[in-house]
Amino acid sequence: MNWRRFFRRRAADAEQREELEFYVDVTAEEYVARGMNLADAKAAARKKLGNATLIQEEIYQMNTLTSLEGVLRDLRHALRIIRTKPGFSIPALLSLGLGIGANIAIFSVVNAVLIRPLLYPAPEKLVGVFNSAAFSGLVIKDWPLSLRMYAAYKEDARSFEEFGVWTAGTATVSGLGEPEQIPAVSMTHGVLRALQVRPYLGRWFSNADEIQGAQKTVILSHKYWQQRFAGDPRVLGRLVLIDFVPRQVVGVMPRGFEFLNLTPDVFLPQSIGSGVPGPDDADHSGVARLKSGVSLAQANQDIARVLSIWGAREGMRTYLEQLRVKPNVHPLKQDVVGDVGAVLKIFMGALLLVLLLVCANIANLAQVRARARHHEFAIRAALGAGRGRIARELLAESLALGVLGGGVGLGLAYAGLRLLVTHGPAALPRVSEISIDSTSILFALACSLGSSALFGFIAILKSGLNSRLQNARGASASMEQLRTQNVLVVAQVALALMLLIAAGLLLRSFVALRAVRPGFTHPEQIQMVRLFIPEAQIQKPEQVAQMQADILHKLAAIPGVTAAAFTSALPLEPEHHNGNPVAVEGKTPPDGIPPNRTLKIISPGLFAALGAGLIAGRDFAWDDLLRERPVAIVSENMARENWGDPRNALGKRIRISGTAQWSVVVGVAENVYDDGVDRQPPGIVYFPGARRGIAFAIRSRRAGTEGFLREITASIHAVNSNLPLAQVRTLNDLYNLSMGRTSFALVLLGIAAAMAQTLAIVGVYGVLAYAAAQRCREVSIRVALGAEPGMVKALFVRQGLILACIGGAIGLASAGGLSRWTSSLLFGVTPVDPLTYGVAGGVILVAALTASYIPARRAASLNPMEALRSD
Amino acid sequence: MVQGTLDMLILRTIVIGPAHGQTIAHAIERGSENVLQVEHGSLYPALHRLQNRGWIAGFWGTSENNRRAKYYRLTPQGRRQLAAQTSRWEQLVHAIGRILNPITEKQG
Repeated sequence: MNWRRFFRRRAADAEQREELEFYVDVTAEEYVARGMNLADAKAAARKKLGNATLIQEEIYQMNTLTSLEGVLRDLRHALRIIRTKPGFSIPALLSLGLGIGANIAIFSVVNAVLIRPLLYPAPEKLVGVFNSAAFSGLVIKDWPLSLRMYAAYKEDARSFEEFGVWTAGTATVSGLGEPEQIPAVSMTHGVLRALQVRPYLGRWFSNADEIQGAQKTVILSHKYWQQRFAGDPRVLGRLVLIDFVPRQVVGVMPRGFEFLNLTPDVFLPQSIGSGVPGPDDADHSGVARLKSGVSLAQANQDIARVLSIWGAREGMRTYLEQLRVKPNVHPLKQDVVGDVGAVLKIFMGALLLVLLLVCANIANLAQVRARARHHEFAIRAALGAGRGRIARELLAESLALGVLGGGVGLGLAYAGLRLLVTHGPAALPRVSEISIDSTSILFALACSLGSSALFGFIAILKSGLNSRLQNARGASASMEQLRTQNVLVVAQVALALMLLIAAGLLLRSFVALRAVRPGFTHPEQIQMVRLFIPEAQIQKPEQVAQMQADILHKLAAIPGVTAAAFTSALPLEPEHHNGNPVAVEGKTPPDGIPPNRTLKIISPGLFAALGAGLIAGRDFAWDDLLRERPVAIVSENMARENWGDPRNALGKRIRISGTAQWSVVVGVAENVYDDGVDRQPPGIVYFPGARRGIAFAIRSRRAGTEGFLREITASIHAVNSNLPLAQVRTLNDLYNLSMGRTSFALVLLGIAAAMAQTLAIVGVYGVLAYAAAQRCREVSIRVALGAEPGMVKALFVRQGLILACIGGAIGLASAGGLSRWTSSLLFGVTPVDPLTYGVAGGVILVAALTASYIPARRAASLNPMEALRSD
Repeated sequence: MVQGTLDMLILRTIVIGPAHGQTIAHAIERGSENVLQVEHGSLYPALHRLQNRGWIAGFWGTSENNRRAKYYRLTPQGRRQLAAQTSRWEQLVHAIGRILNPITEKQG
C-alpha cells in the first residue's frame, strides 16, 4: 500500500505513464538503430510492452483499498435498488421506521427517567429518608417523618453527612403587582446542603432561619426571580409578602434547578418551634447525603438504632412496635421516579419483541427478492463472482435499509416524544429531561445496525447462496420455509386484530364519554377562578361570606356574563372533594352508618351557571345563605334512592351524620358526574354557605379570553386588592383532563395498532409474493393452457384470505382475553362489542386482500412464454 | 518465467548499480543469453511491488541519451532480501536436481 499514490493518484498516474512512455521510446530507438523505420519501431515497442492500460490498472489495484471501494459501490448499488423497488422498500422502511422509532422513543424515556443519574453532584450518595409501617393489613412504605423524629435523626444519626426534611405546598404572594398563589416548598436547612446545589445568588438557609420569631426569609427560584424581579441582582435583602407575612430574600437558586420532581417558585425555611408536634403530623419527607463509605444497609441499621432511642425517649416504644415502624432509607432516585420503572421496562421489552417481528418480516421480504434474483446470482456465480461477494452485496442492502429505517425511526421518535412531553400523563416523572440525546442516538444506531445484521444474515442464509447457486433452474418450492412464513403471518394478523379491536373499543368509549350529559352544559363557556380569603385578611366568617357575595355581584355585572355563582368545589375538582355520611330522617341503615355523600357548599345560582337543571323544588336564595337557614338541595339519584320520586323529596329532612342540625330538602338537582365522566355520578348534598376557599363559576361566551380575565381580576380587586386568583381555567379544561386517561391510552393503542397493522400487511404481502415467485412456472403453464387472469388472481388472493382468516379467528379469540385488561378503560361499550369486532375484522380483511392482490396481479400478468423461457 | 523469480532477478540486476526499467529487462535477457524473456506486462508491476515493499527505491534521473527516466536502486533491505532469496533458490535448484538426476548422485 503506497499512501502517496493513494492520495495523489493523478500525479502518480502521470509519472507511471511517463515511465512507460520512456520505455517505448528507448526500445523504439533501439529498433531504429537496428534499421527499422520510426513508425514500425514504435509499434513494435508498444507490442513488446503489452497493454499499457492493463499494467497501469494492475499497479492501480495495488494501491487501492479494494474492500472500501467495494463497500461504497455496494452501498450505491443498494441505494439504487431501494429507490427503484418501492414495492419492497416502502413497506420495509415503514415497518422498520415504526419499529425502531417506537424503541428509540421508549428508550429515551427509560434513559431520562431511569438510567440517567439525578442532576445533582455525586447523586449516588443521595437518599430519601422515610419510615415504613405495617398495621391492620396495610403496608405503608414511604411514611413521612415528624419534626420530632427529624430532630432525633439530625442529632443522633451517624451515617448522614447532611440531612433535612421538606414539605410541598402553596404560598400566596402579594404586594408585587397582582397577588398570586404559587407552588412552594418548606424545608429545613439541611435539604439544599444535602443536594449540594449552591444558590445562584445569596446563601443557603441556616439554623437561624428556623428559629421562631427571627426575621423570616425566602429563597427564590431562578424563574420566579426573572419573572417578578426582572433578574435584578439587588433582590437580596428585599422584603416580599408571602402569606401576608414579610420575608427577606436571602437567595436565588440557579437556572433550571428542579427540586426532586417539583419546580417550586419559592423555598421557605421550615420553622422548628418549641411546641410539641406529635407523631400524627408526620408529613415531612426526608432527604440526606450519606457519608462516604456508608452503604444503604448501614444507614438503615443506623437509623433503626436512632429510632429506638427516639421511641424510648418519647415514650413511643409501643407505638413503634404496634405499627411495626422501621426506617426506610432508599436511593433518592426512587422518590423522583416513583413506580413507573417496572411499567417502562415491560413496555420496552414488548417493543423490542415487535422490532424482532419487524426484522423477521423484512427478512421474509428480502427472501422474496432473493428468489426473484436467484437467477441473477446464479449467473454471476457462474461468471466467477464469489459467494462472499454476493453475500456482501446482500448485507450492504440490508445495511442501507437498516440505516434509512433508523433515520425514519429517529424522526418518528422525535415527533412522538414531543407529543409525549406536551400531552403525556402528568404522572410521568422527569418529563422535562426527556430528549433524544447522544445515548439515544447511539441506541438508534445499534437498533438499525442490529436489525440490518439480523435480517441481512437471515436473507443470506435463506437465499440459498450456500447450496443451490449452481442450479438456477431448481425452482421447486421449499415447503418448510413456506410453513414458517405462514405461522409468522398468522401470528401477525392475530396481533394486529387484537390491537385494532382494543383501539376500536377505546375509540367507542371516547365517543360514549363525549355523549354523556355530565351535569353541566357548554363547559367552554364556564370560567373558573379560585379564591382564598386568609384569616390574616378577614377574621370573621360572616364577613367572608359578605365579601364573597360582593365579589359575586361585581362579577355578575361584567358585560356578557349570563350567570355567576360560587361553590366549595366545582364538578371534576377531586382535590377539593369533601364527603360525609348523610342521615335521612326516618331511615335506619342496616349497619347503622348512613351512606357517604359528596357535600358541597354553594351560593344561589350555581345550577344556572353550570347549566344543570333543577328537577323539583327551588334553588337557594341569598337569605338562605346569609341567615344560615337549615335547607339543602339533593341530587336526583340520592332523591330516587331514598324517596322514589324526586318530588317526594321536598320537605324531607336530612343531616350530616354525627351532627344535631336537621336540614329541609327544598330542591332536587340534576346528577353531576363529579368524579369524572367515566364514573357513576355520586349522590350529592348541597348546603348554602361560604368558605374561605371557594371557586367561582362565571358563565359567558367570552370565557377564557384575556380581556374577560382582566375584567374578572379588576372586579375582584375592586372588592379586595390583596386576594390572589388561583387556578384560572375553564370547566372545559377540567372536562378534557378527566378524559385524558382515555385519550392517552387511545393514542398509545392507536400507534400500536397501526404498527401491528403495517406488520401484518407486509407479512401477508411477503408470503404471497414469495409463493407467487415459487409457483411462477406452474402459473405460466396454467396460463399457457388457457387459465383466465382472474382465476390466477383468485388462486393467490384465496391463499392470502385463508391466512388472514386463520389469523383473524385467533385474534378474535384472544381479543376476548385482552379485553379483561382493557375493560377498566372502557366506558359505555361492552368488551365484546360486535360493531368494533366487525369493523376491525373488516379492516384486517381488506388489508389482507390488498396485500395479496398485488402479488396476485403480478402473477396473473406474467407472460407465460417469457417466464418459461427465462427459467 | 518461474513465479517469484522475476523479483529476485530484478534485485540481482541492480546490485551492480541503479538502472531504469528497460536496462533491467535488457540485462536479464542478455544475462540469460535470451533464455529468459522478460514480459514487460509484468516487469513494471513487479518494480512497483518491490518499491512498495521497500526493497528497491525509485528516483528520477537522466538517461544515456539525456532523457528523464525513472531509475531503481537496491535498498539495504533489498540487499538482505536478495541474499535470502538467492540462497533459497540455490537450495531449491539443488533439491530439484537431486530428484531429476538421482543416478548421477549415486554415481558421484
